Amino acid sequence: MVQDSKTVGADKDKQADVKKLKPGAKKRKGEEDKDADLSEEDLELKRNLELLIERIKDSNEGVQKNALQALSQEIRSATTSMTSVPKPLKFLMKHYESMKTSYDAMPKSPNKQQFADIISILAISSGKKGERESLKFRLEGSEEPLSSWGNEYVRNLAGEIAGEFQDRRENEASAADLLELVGQIVPYHMSHNAETEAVDLLLEVEELGWLEQYVDADNYRRTCLYLTSTSAYLPEPDDKTVLHTAFSIYIKVKAWPDAVVTALRLQDSERVEQAVAECGKDLDKDGVLEKQQLAYLLAQQGFPVDFREGKAAIPTRGDEDSEREELRDTLTEIGGNMRASSHYLSLARDLDVMEPKLPEEVYKAHLVEGRAPAGPAVDSARANLAATFVNAFVNAGFGTDKLVTPEPSAPSSDVVHWIFKNKDHGKAAATASLGMITLWDVQGGLPLLDKYLYSKDPQVMAGCLLGIGILCCGVQDEHDPAFALLYESIMKEDTTVRVGAILGLGLAYAGRQREEVGEVLAPLVTDESLPMEVVAHAALALGLVFVGTCHQNSVEAILQCLMMRSEADLYQPWGKFLCLGLGLLHLGKQMAIEATHEVVRTLDPNMAAYCGVVLETCAYAGTGDVLKIQQMLATAGEHIDVDDATPWKSHFQSPAVIGMALIAMSEDLGTSMAHRALEHLLRYGDPPVRRAVPLAVALLNVSNPDMTALDTLSRLSHDADSEVAQCAVLALGIVGAGTNNARLAGMLRGLSSYYYKEPTLLLLVRLAQGLVHLGKGLLTLAPARADGTLVSGVALAGILVVLHASLDMKALLAGKHSTLLYALTPAMRPRMLLTLDGEGQLLPVPVRVGQAVDVVAQAGRPKTITGFQTHTTPVLLNVGERAELATNKYIPLSAMLEGVVILKPNPEYVDLGE
Amino acid sequence: MIVKVTVTWGKEVFKNVEVDTAQPPVTFKTQLFSLTGVPPDRQKIMGVKGGLLKDDADWTKLGLKAGQKLMLMGSAEQVPVAPTTAVTFVEDLPEDEQDVEGYSKYGAGIKNAGNTCYMNSSLQCLFRVPELRNALQQYTPAGEVPIMQDGSHKLTVAARNLFAELDRSAAPVLPLAFLTQLRLSFPQFAEMSNTGLYKQQDAEECWTQILYSLRERLQHGQADSPVQKLFGVGLHTRLVCGETGEEIVEDNTSYALKCNISIDINLLHQGIALALKDDREKTSAVLNQLTRFEGTSVITHLPVYLTVQMMRFYYKVDVRQKAKILRKVAFPLLLDCYEFSSPELKKQLDGPRDALLAIEERRAIAKRAGGAAAADKASADKEPAAKSNGNSAAHDTPMPDAEPAAAAAPAAEAGPSASHTGHATGRYDLVAVLTHKGRSADSGHYVAWVKEEDGQWINFDDENIIPVKEADVLALAGGGDWHMANLLLYKQQVVPEEQE
Repeated sequence: MVQDSKTVGADKDKQADVKKLKPGAKKRKGEEDKDADLSEEDLELKRNLELLIERIKDSNEGVQKNALQALSQEIRSATTSMTSVPKPLKFLMKHYESMKTSYDAMPKSPNKQQFADIISILAISSGKKGERESLKFRLEGSEEPLSSWGNEYVRNLAGEIAGEFQDRRENEASAADLLELVGQIVPYHMSHNAETEAVDLLLEVEELGWLEQYVDADNYRRTCLYLTSTSAYLPEPDDKTVLHTAFSIYIKVKAWPDAVVTALRLQDSERVEQAVAECGKDLDKDGVLEKQQLAYLLAQQGFPVDFREGKAAIPTRGDEDSEREELRDTLTEIGGNMRASSHYLSLARDLDVMEPKLPEEVYKAHLVEGRAPAGPAVDSARANLAATFVNAFVNAGFGTDKLVTPEPSAPSSDVVHWIFKNKDHGKAAATASLGMITLWDVQGGLPLLDKYLYSKDPQVMAGCLLGIGILCCGVQDEHDPAFALLYESIMKEDTTVRVGAILGLGLAYAGRQREEVGEVLAPLVTDESLPMEVVAHAALALGLVFVGTCHQNSVEAILQCLMMRSEADLYQPWGKFLCLGLGLLHLGKQMAIEATHEVVRTLDPNMAAYCGVVLETCAYAGTGDVLKIQQMLATAGEHIDVDDATPWKSHFQSPAVIGMALIAMSEDLGTSMAHRALEHLLRYGDPPVRRAVPLAVALLNVSNPDMTALDTLSRLSHDADSEVAQCAVLALGIVGAGTNNARLAGMLRGLSSYYYKEPTLLLLVRLAQGLVHLGKGLLTLAPARADGTLVSGVALAGILVVLHASLDMKALLAGKHSTLLYALTPAMRPRMLLTLDGEGQLLPVPVRVGQAVDVVAQAGRPKTITGFQTHTTPVLLNVGERAELATNKYIPLSAMLEGVVILKPNPEYVDLGE
Repeated sequence: MIVKVTVTWGKEVFKNVEVDTAQPPVTFKTQLFSLTGVPPDRQKIMGVKGGLLKDDADWTKLGLKAGQKLMLMGSAEQVPVAPTTAVTFVEDLPEDEQDVEGYSKYGAGIKNAGNTCYMNSSLQCLFRVPELRNALQQYTPAGEVPIMQDGSHKLTVAARNLFAELDRSAAPVLPLAFLTQLRLSFPQFAEMSNTGLYKQQDAEECWTQILYSLRERLQHGQADSPVQKLFGVGLHTRLVCGETGEEIVEDNTSYALKCNISIDINLLHQGIALALKDDREKTSAVLNQLTRFEGTSVITHLPVYLTVQMMRFYYKVDVRQKAKILRKVAFPLLLDCYEFSSPELKKQLDGPRDALLAIEERRAIAKRAGGAAAADKASADKEPAAKSNGNSAAHDTPMPDAEPAAAAAPAAEAGPSASHTGHATGRYDLVAVLTHKGRSADSGHYVAWVKEEDGQWINFDDENIIPVKEADVLALAGGGDWHMANLLLYKQQVVPEEQE
């Protein structure tokens, strides 16, 4: 906002006065005493000024004019510093009122206008606050260029305009004269490194569209950075307007990746396609690379863009179409994320972590204090289930492991394959873990899973179908194997197989918005003869596939189900997943939920309350909307009398707590505020509230083992309420996911010995250990990308499923539905920076990696990272870290150095070594 | 019409595969079978309209284009079958057999039935002796049980059942049957306090009585009871009367070496040496009256398991109370009984001891020479050591006790160390400690500290099983108010089998 500099300047001035006093000399009051303190020079200036004022009052216009000119000359020539009011202004302060009187008395003339100019400038130090005299006299003045009076004057004027504009709008008065002034101020600001002030002013007068014309290649970065960061603090619909403006600016200056990120933030597929289509339009060498860079960006985000048909397609041209067809193929391959596996593996090879790891290497039981490294003599189904997941998480995407991929040497040998060392749903989890281990590698993974499709064991079959879904999660193979293999099994008799296939479809097409999938799944949701388990999974899968799209058919299907099903059906854990499915469909959609919300309000009161909270929190996910956070805090703060007959009466409080974190995440101030609010809830909240607190902490710090979060969770992991402890343990895993954080690993080892007698908690500790070493530390679950500004809906959806499932830990994750844990797959991505050359080959270059510094609205060219180290790509990035190239030899095609970045040689680079 | 398509199978790509659209898809699948070896019924072909290529599909309706990419999924690999014998999981077992901590291989805790920790700790120490466990397992009374031995028979049966339960169960065991029988057989343990509760008892006494009963019953019709073989210490005592020069020689079997504690005893072997010099009042044949004889004992036979009793409790006459000596007496993890042995026994031990030393030296040299491969060597070294321990355990039971030593004597002269394999060396490893915490034998708390076969020390505190470190065990030497050793159980070291 425009700063009111008057008061600050005056204060500083007093200090300056005090400093002038000689040491030991008593501070004397009174005008004359003060005069005595002045130097001769100052005294002369003062007398001169007083003389000029007298002359202005003269009736002779010529004298007036000369005096005015002399006065303005004095004012302009006064050297100013940041800390004190210029001397002429100071000496004129006491004459301000008399000058105003003489101005009023003056007849209309050019001299009067000039006099108005002088009073206007004097008003910035002498005018009373709130009277906007500077603006008033400016409007009456001579329209002399603003720049002639200096920066401070313009800033002050801008502030007064903002206030005046508000008043006029309230009184519905015309503001044309103000806007004209704005039209002068904005270009001045934009050309004087004061982009932020220009944006502020335009926001105040609601004319943000003007901005674009003043932006050029030099100042667009600062402007847009300010615009996009402002978005978090603006109410609807202003938050969208600033992003739209930023998008237009990016398009104007051809900053394609930034434009796409902004469009993705808006969840605006049309703008994404527009950016993709306009980028590298003439398809020269650079254009092709730029398009590829966008394809990589979209692939990481899991946003489907068709390069063959539609707006973003490569237009056909007769003579060189074979070349273009090739480009289409390449872009489709990149955009479908088909290169994810090979890039990830080259990162792993570079870091030398290809060797598969056993769960024991993660538990590191030999480091556990006190307890002996003893495992049970007999196979424990729970321990094996934990090992299955740990193995899957640790070796995720590497294609090999030591448990499930090795085949027993001879079929008749006594060695039992790992899958069959699991019990019931454990077999499904173990089979599905094949998909996790071969993640993204469709060609390599399918042959491994194939034979289990023919298994007679429904659990193995279900696991295989789920595994195929996991394998294809986030990659879009042209042959579309997931749909081909899964859709038939959705109609299978066996509930287990069905559920596996449904969840598999949901994961494989998460965020892909595939109509075919919707057509298969929606009828399941409305079919009243199906068990709730199937229905809930179908709703969840719909939520994943059409996350944040308000997909009409899916929304209707889930609403219908919520209305038709009996209370007995709805009031169980599965009922909550219907609500979550509905919420995911509206993720980040803000106001667009109103129609759905109306229907939800008509449901049974308890369900309406629960569903309403889920819906609202999802809709405002990542917006930082303070009012919504307050509303959720109030909801969670209620104390509801619950008896055994009505346990659902207070259930809606848990999603409210998770919702607080969901709304506040991805914005630093909101996050730290939410942390404090959660601390209060822990102290005063009822059990359903306390249980959700660790989950909320996890959501605020996904893959970011921040010390305060670890402390809170570590404390809660020993809570007397075992459900709080269970959630806290899993939350520790999510907070540390993929970080290999040694402190956290030690903490979990301690917990593993502390809870060695509690099978459920021990299982969760193991899962958390597996998560901490996710992908041997190469993967992350953090849903926010690109400097935290862009939250991936798919990733967030995946994490939300697991968090909501944790609310019924006993029945779901630690019970018979551990496979729901695989819902984390869409959130998994390598936390890397990989640089490619124009040919798509790895290009190792030195980069500096350090803690990201918030440079929004900072003056000058501040450093964007601090405490950096120089590495050679490919390199790992933690949450909150940023990379910058440490060489001038190449120019990155994306300003955000994250994920896969294409580099092109810098034509201006001169190798000094030669 | 013939359409050429590209088929990918895993990472393989087959280009220009010809599809005859007039033929049913099965023909195409047979074609692929010849290319890949995947049987047609295991083939899943993707990339056509509607997902999978069905056997009854019509090519013309699928709109196949030249150069279209198809994907084949399938393998000729065997379909995985569940193992014929279902895997048993801990969770399937009855609750008391569920071994959550994984300690059930060390046995189980024994619940306290009211001041019975003296018995629990004794039993846990004895449970550590696998030979005793085996002998108990085989215990079936041969023929009629003499009426005199009925009590000890019943106690032996109770012990057998209890040990079997400790072996099987993962949950703490309540030893009611054994306790009842113990109190019947030895009424002193049924002593009650004036509040009507059973009193705390001396663990050493309990230990002795249990062993006494077992020795009586576990004979298998042989002359020597396994208990005697395992625990019996042969002592040769010479009593010399200072006044008359009279000499009385006694040979007897004791079941524990005593360690007397006096003001200048700081180490275990000092205490043992002190206890072996016991002066007694005896009737002198010459003087025909009670007179003082100076006694010195030497060990003539060493058992497999050597029990050392710390004489911490004594009867304080002035206050008429059993009191406890809290003095710190350090005990070693490795006890050498050579100095207490009789010259004959020493001779027997010499050969095996030399052999053992030689082997140890060779190993140390090999280890040093190993250099980089040191770690591997060490683990390899441990293995044969563990193996030979197992061997010795197996050997010991059937072998008559005197034999190995007797056989060793001539072999010692012959020299080759290999012949000493499995022979006693007079050196003992600490395997169990029974400790007491408190100020008198009839109060306080008894627990057992046991070194398991895998080298792990476990503290059996009634129903709790707590893994501890070696240092924790060495801290039981006394000198404070913490647990201190009352009984020490050592196991003999034999000459290990040497592998090249």
